[in-house]
Amino acid sequence: MDLFAVVFYLFAILIIGSATLMVFSKNIVHSAFALMFTLGGLAVFYALLYAGFVAVTQLLVYVGGILVLILFGVMLTTQGYFEKVKTRTVNLVPATIFTAIVGVLLISVFVSTDWTLAPLRDGESTMTALGELLMTDFMLPFQVAGVLLLLAMIGAVLMASRTRTPKSPGSSYGSPVSSPDSPDSSSQSPDSSSAGEESHKT
Amino acid sequence: MAEHIIESIFRFLPEIALTVTLVAAVVADLILKERNRNVAWVVLAGLVVTALLVLRQAGWNESIFSDMIAVDPFAVFFKMLLVIAGLFIVLFSVKSRELEQNITRIGEYYMLITGVIFGMFLMVGATNLLLMYLAFELTSISSYVLAGFTKSLRKSAEASMKYIIYGAVSSGFLIYGISMLVGITGAIDIYGVRDALQAGVEQQSALYVAVIMIIVGFSYKITAVPFHFWAPDVYEGAPVTITTFLATASKVAGFAMMIRFFRISFMESGALSVPGLDGFIAIVPWNIILAIFAALTMLAANLMALWQENIKRLLAYSSIAHAGFILMGLALLTDEGISAMMIYLAIYLFMNMGAFFVVLLVTNKLDSELISAYEGLGHRSPFLSVAMTIFLVALAGFPPTAGFIAKVYIFGATVSAGWIWLVAVAGLATIISLFYYIRVVRNMFLVDPEESSEPVILDYGSTAILVLLLIPVLLLGVYFTPIVTWAKDAVTMFGM
Repeated sequence: MDLFAVVFYLFAILIIGSATLMVFSKNIVHSAFALMFTLGGLAVFYALLYAGFVAVTQLLVYVGGILVLILFGVMLTTQGYFEKVKTRTVNLVPATIFTAIVGVLLISVFVSTDWTLAPLRDGESTMTALGELLMTDFMLPFQVAGVLLLLAMIGAVLMASRTRTPKSPGSSYGSPVSSPDSPDSSSQSPDSSSAGEESHKT
Repeated sequence: MAEHIIESIFRFLPEIALTVTLVAAVVADLILKERNRNVAWVVLAGLVVTALLVLRQAGWNESIFSDMIAVDPFAVFFKMLLVIAGLFIVLFSVKSRELEQNITRIGEYYMLITGVIFGMFLMVGATNLLLMYLAFELTSISSYVLAGFTKSLRKSAEASMKYIIYGAVSSGFLIYGISMLVGITGAIDIYGVRDALQAGVEQQSALYVAVIMIIVGFSYKITAVPFHFWAPDVYEGAPVTITTFLATASKVAGFAMMIRFFRISFMESGALSVPGLDGFIAIVPWNIILAIFAALTMLAANLMALWQENIKRLLAYSSIAHAGFILMGLALLTDEGISAMMIYLAIYLFMNMGAFFVVLLVTNKLDSELISAYEGLGHRSPFLSVAMTIFLVALAGFPPTAGFIAKVYIFGATVSAGWIWLVAVAGLATIISLFYYIRVVRNMFLVDPEESSEPVILDYGSTAILVLLLIPVLLLGVYFTPIVTWAKDAVTMFGM
């Protein structure tokens, strides 16, 4: 067994183990840290495949950016740092059967298939080639990804921001359509009270 | 390379116009006063320009941006449908009272609508697996936000949440399937996949799993039956305008992408009736699987629609059932089947938008989405009720409306391909669907209104939009040659 295989299996076990821990942990901070090991392990995989740029991006974006953001989010939104997540397992039997079938199917397919493999090119920097491709053959997906991120960002802000319902005559259409609970008035009050708290703090 | 890119950019003008509109909507939202109307006009103008640019593309048959996306009659046909849908949705939104509550965020609403149309334009043209997935996600992510746009309403928030979860799972299936397909064939565009498959694949089992996963991913977008669970809840909870958009444009784009993918990758060029892959169809009969999907979708959705009390839910099930009718065309694996699908999709767009627009107007006036609210509407607003009756008769598929023509072509194609049992199931489903469509009509005309009820009066704008939708539904029912010729010509795809 060469060094490559040893490193691969070591990190494969790390990735699967921490992913399992992440899913099953009831503590959200533990989950976040387990996710960090999963993402970091993936970065090692990319490095093993000589995809240096992707490995660095994986570290910077996922581990450095998204994960830290998740941790900040957890810290700022929960009361205690170690609050238990309320989870409940439903449909245990059908889910288990379905997962088992899919698992067996996928494993058997992966084992039996003769995958088309690109040759491993070591010793070259992938950066130049990647940059060139992004500006030539893959220019369109590159630009489209930009639009996608713009829309996702605006959408996220839209969903997360507080609603300020105008007091103008337009809002006379108050009660929601065929829905008895009128969340407009109920959601309004906690909003205004929390806004008041904030201004009080400052 | 530079020349190719510059040339490609000039072949990509409609999409660029949409992106400019998208940015213009944001800027207009910042600087214009009385925002609802004005941003809507900016987007409307942008869509008109886009439509003109799409018209200029008629007859082109090219592949641009290094085989990323095709500009061919097939794509142009669908782009035209999508831009028409977009124009109507913006007009609906101006008339919607539901959205007026969220007037402060309306700029983002129109911006996201433009974004969804941009994503759909890419979906109908994309020939590269990476771009296909990106376009799929672009459409989905903007739709999640739009479904929850009136987020202070509990139902809307619930709709958005369900949509995100189902959407994430299905796009997971799609990308997993695509990744396996890339692993088997080593190609990243559908032409490469076709060549690799024609050269022969030794490992069939991985190919089957990949194709099944890709079918699951698409089925979610077009709401075929085992993967339709999200649709009724999302359609009920989302604002009516967005429900209309999801039930029409989103489905049209999903079908277009599915047709292009299956036709180019898995069917031999030219003669569709002969499966391109020796052994591909022999071991697993894909067309029978698709036919069973279609049959299940038609029957299950129509049966479930019988019990609905909410008109949006009823139309949601009806639109799922229509997806079943359309899917019949794909199972045939013939050019005739595909052109029948295109005719159906074009007509479906108008009749479904019409029905939803009536729902929007009734909700505006009566604050209710229940079918019982339609009792006596025929006396309170004869024009609205007659319009709704025409749309419902069209959806049921009876003459003299366009819905009849749509059904005739898809049934005819199915019969001539020899699928008699499938036509029998479709006929049964049509008869079942008649019950719930007629129930609404009966409520409108045969039930007397309450004593206190006042006549419902429409403004001129709404009447005009309604007439604009009625014209194609009625005209295409008697003079259908143009749409049929156009659809038959538009079967041409780049690389066939």
